[in-house]
Amino acid sequence: MLRSLRCAALLGSLFLSASALAVDIDQASYGYPLTNPFEATIATTPPDLRPKLPTDDEINQSDYTLNMRPEREFSLPDNFWAVKKLTYRIAKQDRAAPLIFLIAGTGARYDSSLNEYLKKLYYQAGYHVVQLSSPTSFDFIASASRFATPGISQEDAEDMYRVMQAVRAQNASLPVTDFYLTGYSLGALDAAFVSKLDETRRSFNFKKVLLLNPPVNLYTSITNLDKLVQTEVKGINNTTTFYELVLNKLTRYFQQKGYIDLNDALLYDFQQSKQHLTNEQMAMLIGTSFRFSAADIAFTSDLINRRGLIIPPKYPITEGTSLTPFLKRALQCDFDCYLTEQVIPMWRARSDGGSLLQLVDQVSLYALKDYLHASPKIAVMHNADDVILGPGDLGFLRKTFGDRLTVYPLGGHCGNLNYRVNADAMLEFFRG
Amino acid sequence: MAKYLLLLAALMCAGVANADNSKAHEPTLLGDDGFKQPLTKLKFNPGLDQREFERSSLTALNVYDPLESWNRRVYHFNYRFDQWVFLPVVNGYTYVTPSFLRTGVSNFFNNLGDVPNLLNSLLQLKGHRSLETTGRLLLNTTVGIAGLWDPATAMGLPRQSEDFGQTLGFYGVPGGAYVVLPIFGPSNLRDTAGLLVDYTAESQINFLNVSEVSSNHPEIWALRAVDKRYQTSFRYGQMNSPFEYEKVRYIYTESRKLQIAE
Repeated sequence: MLRSLRCAALLGSLFLSASALAVDIDQASYGYPLTNPFEATIATTPPDLRPKLPTDDEINQSDYTLNMRPEREFSLPDNFWAVKKLTYRIAKQDRAAPLIFLIAGTGARYDSSLNEYLKKLYYQAGYHVVQLSSPTSFDFIASASRFATPGISQEDAEDMYRVMQAVRAQNASLPVTDFYLTGYSLGALDAAFVSKLDETRRSFNFKKVLLLNPPVNLYTSITNLDKLVQTEVKGINNTTTFYELVLNKLTRYFQQKGYIDLNDALLYDFQQSKQHLTNEQMAMLIGTSFRFSAADIAFTSDLINRRGLIIPPKYPITEGTSLTPFLKRALQCDFDCYLTEQVIPMWRARSDGGSLLQLVDQVSLYALKDYLHASPKIAVMHNADDVILGPGDLGFLRKTFGDRLTVYPLGGHCGNLNYRVNADAMLEFFRG
Repeated sequence: MAKYLLLLAALMCAGVANADNSKAHEPTLLGDDGFKQPLTKLKFNPGLDQREFERSSLTALNVYDPLESWNRRVYHFNYRFDQWVFLPVVNGYTYVTPSFLRTGVSNFFNNLGDVPNLLNSLLQLKGHRSLETTGRLLLNTTVGIAGLWDPATAMGLPRQSEDFGQTLGFYGVPGGAYVVLPIFGPSNLRDTAGLLVDYTAESQINFLNVSEVSSNHPEIWALRAVDKRYQTSFRYGQMNSPFEYEKVRYIYTESRKLQIAE
């Protein structure tokens, strides 16, 4: 009690100078059950605490493709035929309605589970919904990215903006009243840059923009994520690798349960069981998933730009060619390696040199500080225990956004987005 | 008191493996801005130079796949077939049929599938599971009207699939080479053989006379195939990776191991 009072006093004194205070949700009244940030990130909200959503059958939706970079038809090898055009998904209301764009997070496609969730949430509330892949997603890099080297937020936003304009053109007859924009994780950072771009290009005049768990300093975020695979995991030895460890636990879990049942509650139940993973194991799992994204990005970018770092530029690839040797090489490359080997050299060549610090400044939310501070239409929702943040990042958000920032005490990285309380707040923001 | 503490300390030192050396229970460090610093709750290896991710992943890539070149071509064929034929047909099917009818169709074919499930449970001498599956068959075929409804699941008898590939695996037959079957998708030599055995068994048993009727009415086979695709949530491209083939291969191999062990 004393402690929280002290904290409150400290916070109060710290931010009295700012014009408005961020909305801090109190942990006791918040009611989110997962206090462990890693557990929240992996398992997300237990199913009965999620909002009631329509099923896919009840949504009028379809997938469309855009031919954004026609030259890739010829420059990409044959076995990438599926990503030569960019696919997106649109859910249409049967009347005039506001349209909301959803941008997926790091390496995620338009139909990532979080994007699907957000689609259902907003569709139910009466929006047309357009789901877009992240600029770091394999399909987006291959089919819509001009430089095919994602990471420079400004350039990614330009690519994204073109895609949005093409989406609008392809659905020109759709009656749209207003445009809204949201994104989660890296998609939120993209959304901020897209919104800035829209201030000058004016194709959409976004009425409101919501950033969900954005990275503040992109370099901090990728460093944190790279670091997650460096945890000391108990139970790994010469005969058991990390995957085997997790799979053995999963096997024992199903054996104890008596049957295999894959459902929404699986991860939550698993963490409640005797076989649950420790913090270090969960961190390793999250880190692993991001390392695979990093490998995909590094490989795809190298392949399209013919840099020859992972795959020799003229290596013949047909549909039967094994890519396993290149996966093995790409797996050695984490985000930091991708940044230093591919992003920085390209950025230097295009912008007359510059240091890593300058790059970090340009691609993080810092670059938009004044814009974000002065734009009442943009709001942020973040968690106090998000693994992609570093010390001082929340302070930056508090200063920049004032009362347009909501800080939830729990949820890890995006784990509470499908919690009922968050869902209500996310709808309320666009409604108001 | 001190003695006990000493004893406790000694015990904890002795059982390094049991000791909780993680930092999970350390108090949360609240930053000035309210940041909880989740990474401080983790124990990192001191040099930050462990190669466990690389070791695990490279080991995981060792799946016996001598037919890789052929398999990849079939994989691409399946991908195209799925996008251009299978999924459009499934979408048409969902468009023209009401939801309860689709559920009925799924239940009906699942009920047929409970026959091989039962056989294989018996072959693996899994008494409890055999009883449950027998219960399912009896209940769903009678009360559920030839399997169109699935009252058994509602009564706490979940569907537990067992195929002959799993039975072979149960008795120690290794998977053999990884194979991508046209239309059917990922498999291996053992499971392909299992598929053939299950198919033969099903047509011999001729449960509810379906096998006999469908030999004259191929549309029943077509409906079954469409229903199977309708029930399978996997979508090509879903992994969103240039290395989807490798990932599917690993997941298939491991999930089969898991099904056999369970």
